[in-house]
Amino acid sequence: MGGKSEPAKSESMATTTTSPDLINSSFFSFKSLKLKTKQQELLLRIAILGLVYILAFIARLFSVLRYESMIHEFDPYFNYRTTLFLTEKGFYEFWNWFDSESWYPLGRIIGGTLYPGLMVTAALIYWALRFLRFFVHIREVCVLTAPFFASNTTLVAYFFGKEIWDTGAGLVAAVLIAICPGYISRSVAGSYDNEAVAIFALLLTFYLFVKAVNTGSLAWALGSAFGYFYMVSAWGGYVFIINLVPLYVLVLLITGRYSMRLYIAYNCMYILGMLLAMQIRFVGFQHVQSGEHMGAMGVFLLMQVFYFLDWVKYQLNDTKLFQTFLRITVTSAILVGGIALGVGTASGYISPWTGRFYSLLDPTYAKDHIPIIASVSEHQPTAWSSFMFDYHILLFLFPAGLYFCFKRLSDATIFIVMYGLTSLYFAGVMVRLILVATPAVCLISAIAVSATVKNLTSLLRTKQKVSQTGSTKGAGSSKASSKVTLDQSQPFQKNGAIALLVGVFYLLSRYAIHCTWVTSEAYSSPSIVLAARGAHGNRILFDDYREAYYWLRQNTPTDAKIMSWWDYGYQITAMGNRTVIVDNNTWNNTHIATVGRAMSSNEDEAYEIMRSLDVNYVLVVFGGVTGYSSDDINKFLWMVRIGGGVFPVIKEPDYLVNGEFRVDKGASPKMLNCLMYKLCYYRFGELTTEYGKPPGYDRARGGEIGNKDIKLEHLEEAYTTSNWIVRIYRVKPPTNRL
Amino acid sequence: MAPKSDLQTLATGSGVSDGSDQSSIDPIFHLLRILPFSFLRPPRLRLRIPSFTLPSPMTVYALILLTYFLVVSGFVYDVIVEPPGIGSTQDPITGTIRPVVFMSGRVNGQYIIEGLSSGFMFVLGGIGIVMLDLALDKNKAKSVKASYAVAGVSSIVIGYVMSMLFIRIKIPGYLH
Repeated sequence: MGGKSEPAKSESMATTTTSPDLINSSFFSFKSLKLKTKQQELLLRIAILGLVYILAFIARLFSVLRYESMIHEFDPYFNYRTTLFLTEKGFYEFWNWFDSESWYPLGRIIGGTLYPGLMVTAALIYWALRFLRFFVHIREVCVLTAPFFASNTTLVAYFFGKEIWDTGAGLVAAVLIAICPGYISRSVAGSYDNEAVAIFALLLTFYLFVKAVNTGSLAWALGSAFGYFYMVSAWGGYVFIINLVPLYVLVLLITGRYSMRLYIAYNCMYILGMLLAMQIRFVGFQHVQSGEHMGAMGVFLLMQVFYFLDWVKYQLNDTKLFQTFLRITVTSAILVGGIALGVGTASGYISPWTGRFYSLLDPTYAKDHIPIIASVSEHQPTAWSSFMFDYHILLFLFPAGLYFCFKRLSDATIFIVMYGLTSLYFAGVMVRLILVATPAVCLISAIAVSATVKNLTSLLRTKQKVSQTGSTKGAGSSKASSKVTLDQSQPFQKNGAIALLVGVFYLLSRYAIHCTWVTSEAYSSPSIVLAARGAHGNRILFDDYREAYYWLRQNTPTDAKIMSWWDYGYQITAMGNRTVIVDNNTWNNTHIATVGRAMSSNEDEAYEIMRSLDVNYVLVVFGGVTGYSSDDINKFLWMVRIGGGVFPVIKEPDYLVNGEFRVDKGASPKMLNCLMYKLCYYRFGELTTEYGKPPGYDRARGGEIGNKDIKLEHLEEAYTTSNWIVRIYRVKPPTNRL
Repeated sequence: MAPKSDLQTLATGSGVSDGSDQSSIDPIFHLLRILPFSFLRPPRLRLRIPSFTLPSPMTVYALILLTYFLVVSGFVYDVIVEPPGIGSTQDPITGTIRPVVFMSGRVNGQYIIEGLSSGFMFVLGGIGIVMLDLALDKNKAKSVKASYAVAGVSSIVIGYVMSMLFIRIKIPGYLH
């Protein structure tokens, strides 16, 4: 502020000499605030960015204000537990941690099978706050990490937009990404998941790389390598970066945009990024061994060939000789590369693409071969309404932005076009990846908005210049008449431009309204606390999950083993503090299939399996009383499919009647006798759930259950929560032999 | 680097010895000239190696717009989940089968035709903005610019209004 006041004072000094002293001495304070245009623009930009930063943070706080500051969903509970461990025991214990409390009896090597970026980031923030003597609980830091990094992402988006187009586009990009529902869905307060930090790291890496390609500076390339390292430590989606950047380099080479800047940027980023990525134990040597990373290596070698050819061209002065040399070199390079790839793949050194990423290229793969991946609801392909829900106006602005990028092609716009197209295709394959596409869609839409608004405002401004030149030039009569006709149509154009600007602002305001509504209604539910509308429109909360986990924590022996479906594993270990058989990590399909088999067999067979796994308690989730539709009965067919995938004894058609899944009187006998059915509906036949319906009416399936008189032989009921959502059963020890 | 330098010395060597009709340094060419083609006579053809020219940016843009239309219409969803083209319910009283255009009940589900029509509306809105930009291009006649502007504005308005209508039908509680 000091620098700004000096020229202002000099301006005010200049005016006091020409105007009466009395007036200006009283208005001195106002005159000193008059800034030059450049300073006004800087102030405006900083103010806008500051407001956007605050907006991005507070838009994500709905659930904290409505419920309380707690961790949402399933996966974040594991992240919270590991962060807690990190802050309590320190980094070395964390890195070497073997957890025997999950996946009983196998255990899990946590230090080697997680992406530590998120936990280390939250722990660093926690230690920094403690250093400043703010003694906050680690849970608060975990809950608010995601909104904090979302705010940082808006700043990176501003700089990225400035790099690609101009500052106007950067500002619009920051605003769009601050409230875009596609990003909010995974970064709301309480959603303490890898993507919260990973999207920031992704955009930062891309920005630094584009800056390196534009400037050719080694420092920016080094920055992008470190950004890549942060991304690798944060999320498994780093594979997207290591494939998009080589693809981009390839496209630049094909379109003839090879330059020294590209060479420096890519080489530095690839080599340093690869070496840094190998520091993460979970990633290990995948950069040289896995098929998904081979594209980057191939492009790296191709760049060396290009550099070599460039150097030879510089040495030779004969173009014809060089052409033949070029053909020979390129053919032999491709041949050698192909042979090396073939030998590596055939010998097994280079592993093929893993199922998760292969299903992105061939979407039908997961449905036929890997039921666990196909069962997750986030992995379903995307329908048009999901796009509309998450993007609203940006779906119109995206093709327009692409047009503007194609009109003014440069290295940076080619990058953003490629990022946008590839990420949008992957978002079409899997709903969850709409998150990865959001920054690209916001940036390209910002280009469209900025270019359109610039066109319209230039239309508002040029008319004055034209009329001025018409009056000062005073040329021949034809010119004067044409200027006159232009002057006559000017007011019409001016009104039209103003109307269109009003239209643009109307559309953007509708976007803001839509985003706020979606955030408030759809993406702010903690999903561990369920909410419903009561009879009088008031909001009723079902806190059954936490009630059950705390019952487990306080009423079971500390070495008790809990068997449940894998969805609830993380929450049981984090809140219930008990050992589980399977959890959300889903790394061992056979173990999960064993649990699935136990749930789908009758009670005697299930008891055998439970005794072999040392199970003490079984936990099921049941939504028949409340109408909760994501309960275990609705997930039951996936248990059958996964169990049947490993144990052919379990056959899915046995549980269906004419291809239909029923729980009423017409259900198949195997269904009526399986463990899951018995545990969910035990004593349910005596309960009246809805006025006017018979007892035992299942509100989630909309029918009366078939078998109301259930007797359990090897299990006994331990606890049922107040709304019957979570039910816990104790496994009885075997009877004494007589 | 070793194989390349070998080829180079071989090429220069053969080039020096046979400088009369072909001054090519391609070793494969010389090998083929000796082995089959010393006794076989190749026919005279008028072939050219097809030259590879890059398409213009606007051609690429048109192709990309087509792909965008397919992706946003939920084409991948259609291929994998295979929903019917249009849904149907049975009228409970009269028993006639009535078609249902929008799959209701969940956000992430669609029928094929509703996906395609929504995708078309999005692309229409996008093209409207493009036409607005073309309308402000200085190198065209005034009537052309005016018609572009009118077409652009009407496309944007129609695309936006129809999309809002679709989403209101699909999600009954939208904006309440």
